Amino acid sequence: MNNRFKNEYLAHTSPRPESGWKAHAKRIMSNPLGQFGLLGLLLAITQLLNIAGIVPRSIMTTIAFVSIYSIAAIGFCLLLGYSGLASLGTAGFMGLGIYLCHYGLQEWQISILPAFLIAGIASIVIGFVVGFVSLRIEGIYLAIMTLALSEIIVKLLKTIKGSTLIIRGVNLNFFGIPLSNNAVYFTIIVVLVMLLVGTANLINSPTGRAMVAMKSSVAAAQAMGISLLKYRLLAFIISTLFAGIAGFFYHAYLPGISPTTATILTLSMSLNILGAVIIGGAKSLWGTLVGTFVIYGFQSIFLQNIAFFNENPAFMMMVTGVLIILVVMFYPGGFAQMLFTFRLWLKKMTKKWRIYRYGIEE
Amino acid sequence: MAQLLSLLNTITGSLLTICVTMVATMGITLIFRTSNTTNFAQGAIAAAGTYVVAYLAMQYSVHYILAILIGLVFGIAFGLFIDIMIFRRGKNINIVGKQIITMGLVSIIFGAVPLIFGAQIPPQIPAFIDGNFSISMLGGELSITKHSVVCIAITAAVLTVLFVLLFKSKWGLGVRVTASSEYTAGIVGVNTYVITATSWAIAAALAVLAAVMLNAGNASLTPSFMTKIQVSSFLAGILGGFSTFLGPILGAIIIPLAISVVGWLGFINPFFQSWAEVIVYILLLIAILIKPQGLFGKVVAKKV
Repeated sequence: MNNRFKNEYLAHTSPRPESGWKAHAKRIMSNPLGQFGLLGLLLAITQLLNIAGIVPRSIMTTIAFVSIYSIAAIGFCLLLGYSGLASLGTAGFMGLGIYLCHYGLQEWQISILPAFLIAGIASIVIGFVVGFVSLRIEGIYLAIMTLALSEIIVKLLKTIKGSTLIIRGVNLNFFGIPLSNNAVYFTIIVVLVMLLVGTANLINSPTGRAMVAMKSSVAAAQAMGISLLKYRLLAFIISTLFAGIAGFFYHAYLPGISPTTATILTLSMSLNILGAVIIGGAKSLWGTLVGTFVIYGFQSIFLQNIAFFNENPAFMMMVTGVLIILVVMFYPGGFAQMLFTFRLWLKKMTKKWRIYRYGIEE
Repeated sequence: MAQLLSLLNTITGSLLTICVTMVATMGITLIFRTSNTTNFAQGAIAAAGTYVVAYLAMQYSVHYILAILIGLVFGIAFGLFIDIMIFRRGKNINIVGKQIITMGLVSIIFGAVPLIFGAQIPPQIPAFIDGNFSISMLGGELSITKHSVVCIAITAAVLTVLFVLLFKSKWGLGVRVTASSEYTAGIVGVNTYVITATSWAIAAALAVLAAVMLNAGNASLTPSFMTKIQVSSFLAGILGGFSTFLGPILGAIIIPLAISVVGWLGFINPFFQSWAEVIVYILLLIAILIKPQGLFGKVVAKKV
């Protein structure tokens, strides 16, 4: 008897578990796998549309590059936004990936998976070194030291190999099966989604919280028993690993281009990644993705279609620059903060409208 | 003997780079101390100023010295614009934000330069004075370009004036106070706005001066031609220690000098010739790991 009342009471008071496809979708979309999986699905569908001849090739190239740079940017976001460590070495770390991709596929003639593993291991080693440097030096000094390290790597690579890197298409293979450009694209998307989900989960794990604690106050974090050595090393290893992966795919996606290293392995490359993370919002993965798109994709997808900008390509660069400055000046938290402010404003407006319409305050 | 002579020749050959790096480093240090940020736009501003000078002097045949003065004024105006119109207008920009703003400026300048001056490389500014000085010694000839000598004189004069201003004048006192803490400086009555604005103006003018000296020496003019100098200026600042004004300048002498000396060692083994920069940078890394505050820097006690 008692039990029946209790059940009835519970049925009335507690919200009924939602059912149907809507609730299901909501549940899926509330975890990172669902969100980023959907993004990956959309990107994959765009490629299928390209194969079908609907989406032009130039857009696909842009999306691929935005995805590649996003991989580096996510690692950087974890480093800067969540661990509070600055780095200007992204170009060097990406360069390592690019050169190892070339060596693996072209000179040693191995297939893409072992080459990828070699590039990954090399990046981890470099991350280890930078991590140790970060224990001695902090702040902007650390950023400039990583710049020095990146210069060393780039000089080293250029002295050994020069800046002409070409992979012939035949060598791009997965254990003997030749890979087409499309296959590389799909691989990039899969890797991007995996890394995004992994990072999102890492941020919410005890490890991520330890990193955030380290960012807020090194002294307090140490007092709470957080090992600086462990988490700084980890943050740098993840960041360089992601940059290395990005470099690897950069070269794998564009195997025929030779003078890449001269133009991309520069300080401005590292600064662009930094800019992407900052204007997107350093503490938001979605923000980072949007920021990367603004820096690398905005020009070629939107501005190029406007006749004025197409005739004066120099203006496109200026627009990006002005955009960056305006965002940092007025929204230091980046697009993520902008969205947040917009939501607040929307909420306020809805409330006002309700009061006006119904004359009640909730 | 012949090796000693070649060492001396290597050093005289790198004197111009040393001067340029010293002047550029002074600008970077000023901004680092007063605005607390690394100015990535330094090289781009310098290149833009050099474009102005090159066009005035070459296309419109304005007198050489006048052109350089106009270039410097351009630099000063640009520096003031950055500080007054951008840094001061933004709300709570943090250090990284400032860095990103200077990066955005690089993007704007790189876009604007080809737009204003056309895409082709402008004629190079000629050397201040053509020709070489040569002295016969050690059974050979030690030669140095007259241009480097002029640049050394300019660098020495400019840096001396700046250091006297920094350590003897009221403005210099203001800069040093602002450098230690902008907030406190404001409280005790230093007009930090004037201090940062003048620092930006001087830094930008120094950047243009350095770039003109380099371009007139022997470097083709592109929007990014100062990036290399800029990077070694940052490293010089770290090596010497940003906590003092003299340290970075000494660092700026050490780095290019070390690179050319290690390159000279190439007569022992060609290895040194091709790896000079890598070796010097690795040594630099080790030096800073041993002394994180820089070779000449003061230890700054950290508050918790």
